[in-house]
Amino acid sequence: MPSYTSLVPSSEAINELLARYGVRFGIYKNNTFKEQLFPFDAIPRVIECDEFSYLERGLKQRVRALNLFLRDIYSRKQIVKDGVIPEDFIFASGGYLAQCEGVLPSKGIYSHISGIDLVKGKDGKWYILEDNLRVPSGASYPMIARELCRRSAPKVFHDIPVADNRNYAELLRRTMDHVNVGGINVILTPGRYNSAYFEHSFLAEKTGAYLVNGSELSVEGDFLYYNTADGKKERVGTVYRRISDEYLDPMNFNPESLIGIPHIFDVVRKGNVALMNAIGNGVADDKGIYYFVPKMIKYYLGEEPILSNAPTYLPFYEQDMKYTLENFDNLVLKDVAEAGGYGVVFGNKMTKEQKADFITLLKAEPRRFIAQEVIDFQDLDIMDEGRQVARKADLRAFVLTADEPMVWKSGLTRFSRNPDSFIVNSSQGGGFKDTWVLSR
Amino acid sequence: MKRLQFDYFMNIDYSEPVSSGHFTLKCFPAEDSRQRVLSCETHITPQTAFSEGRDSFGNAMIYGAVKHPHSTFSVRVTGEVELLQTQYETLLTENEIFLYRHGGVLLRPDAGMQADYSSVSGLLPDNVPERAGFLMHRLYEDFHYEKGCTDANTDARTAFARRKGVCQDYSHIFIVLCRLAGIPARYVTGLLVGEGESHAWVEILHNDKWIGLDVTNNIPVTDSHIKFGHGRDAADCRINTGIVYGSAGQTQKVLAVTRLSEQ
Repeated sequence: MPSYTSLVPSSEAINELLARYGVRFGIYKNNTFKEQLFPFDAIPRVIECDEFSYLERGLKQRVRALNLFLRDIYSRKQIVKDGVIPEDFIFASGGYLAQCEGVLPSKGIYSHISGIDLVKGKDGKWYILEDNLRVPSGASYPMIARELCRRSAPKVFHDIPVADNRNYAELLRRTMDHVNVGGINVILTPGRYNSAYFEHSFLAEKTGAYLVNGSELSVEGDFLYYNTADGKKERVGTVYRRISDEYLDPMNFNPESLIGIPHIFDVVRKGNVALMNAIGNGVADDKGIYYFVPKMIKYYLGEEPILSNAPTYLPFYEQDMKYTLENFDNLVLKDVAEAGGYGVVFGNKMTKEQKADFITLLKAEPRRFIAQEVIDFQDLDIMDEGRQVARKADLRAFVLTADEPMVWKSGLTRFSRNPDSFIVNSSQGGGFKDTWVLSR
Repeated sequence: MKRLQFDYFMNIDYSEPVSSGHFTLKCFPAEDSRQRVLSCETHITPQTAFSEGRDSFGNAMIYGAVKHPHSTFSVRVTGEVELLQTQYETLLTENEIFLYRHGGVLLRPDAGMQADYSSVSGLLPDNVPERAGFLMHRLYEDFHYEKGCTDANTDARTAFARRKGVCQDYSHIFIVLCRLAGIPARYVTGLLVGEGESHAWVEILHNDKWIGLDVTNNIPVTDSHIKFGHGRDAADCRINTGIVYGSAGQTQKVLAVTRLSEQ
């Protein structure tokens, strides 16, 4: 009888295949590029059908609100005028790009691919940890892992009703086509040395989009073109870009960028190419604005949020500062400008001196930090040197927005290999699992 | 009402030919409630096709590329504008105010600027134009005009620490001080009669109108100022942005000559 641990014996073989396919995760540490394997654990995270429908409703609601928020901020700013969000949290945020003022992306969509990170608490409740609206990575890992698992143990998938996750490519293509303003779809990669290069090439292959780098695209007049090796030009209608905002266009953003395409943003501004995701999304997914997402849901949709945030405090507000100082040891403090598990400190893990220094900094720059209750989240079993042990894990759910948000019935489950760590980011050396959504 | 003719010329010589280059130019007179453009012609050398557009601050711009080797790049913009009012005022457009209270990469104050502001904050008049005027006069007295000690990327705090610089630095520091004093302010580029180069000044917001102050000259902006564009800081509305591709060891010279003549 197949069970959720049926794939464990195949684990080694699958990891070898993943390595051969080039499923690696590259990280920069001390200025050198190191590529490491992204270890796969063969015990899947399993989500029941009903539970996933609940997540699906909550995720769609959240992404809908986030898209409306981005559109509002770069045009009318009604949510600020109505006093729901203080203007400091928007216009002074590093993620807010004034260059995007008045630039309406194709079909009004800003976050085409949203990676929403969740954890399940010991209370059985799901909590949103963060929103990633700046081209989140990771969907390719459970896709390829599933493919390999299916190959090595087809019977498991025959007997257990796991929702097929191969449709991610189809959802992604639909998302690209939906905003396409005329021309081909391309996936723009910074190249071989990017941490997610495997994913770029994999998704290009699966969606039929061209995999290109910056030097193969050029702006001529008011349009963007793909230049083929034999000297032909093809107009580009959608760019699924895997280059961050500041490096995308040296004429409009960081002038030092060598991987960008000069003037691409001028073409976006004229509505002659769609960028996925839109530029400027950082204003909606920094840790400071996270606090306000439930308020956005009420404001734009008139609905109660289905999924909760982790309880969060903004020391910017006097009352929250007081709470933070009084409960310092029970809280985790996060620098809003940092990502990837950096800039996260636990109150109870600081020395007396560190604590005093941190509090001084917190009082000087309250806008820079958020404080959160440490959620005691459910452990998942992993195999560690032949033993089944429990580790912290989160879930990155992928929501793709074409005419409506669509939640992919799978997701990237990341776990910490260190038994004492709550930080599961792959840049911190964790591993991943497949996520099985049961179809009945 | 007054008409002004202008001839803006910018030339870049490369010590060796560059293989190609991209440019974005924002050196065109603005059309607003104070200033009307009667004529405007642009010549770019080497001759090349270019696109027209507007940036997010509403500034007119052109952009394009020279895709062959060249050793010089120049732009000449000539024309005539009519200044409709002596007192410098333009209307606040909807939604723009938020932009001018925050942000701007060149506008982050440091402790030195904050301390300086605190030392006078008790003396400031309540009335907004008077408060801004007070800060302008004081900056004019304390700051020394000197070319070559700052560059296009110098931010307000660096220039403030040196106590010297050019119109860009005066304007940046003034914007920061105005913000500290609770007055939204923005950076303006343009031309000034009698000035041989492009110029920069500041607009402060008062009663839903932007009022121009030429901090470098310690005067309100007059009908001798032709406005090109505005942004939070100089980085938002640079008159010329360019990148060129070529072998190493090249030097770039910028020469800007401006002549204004009254009709």
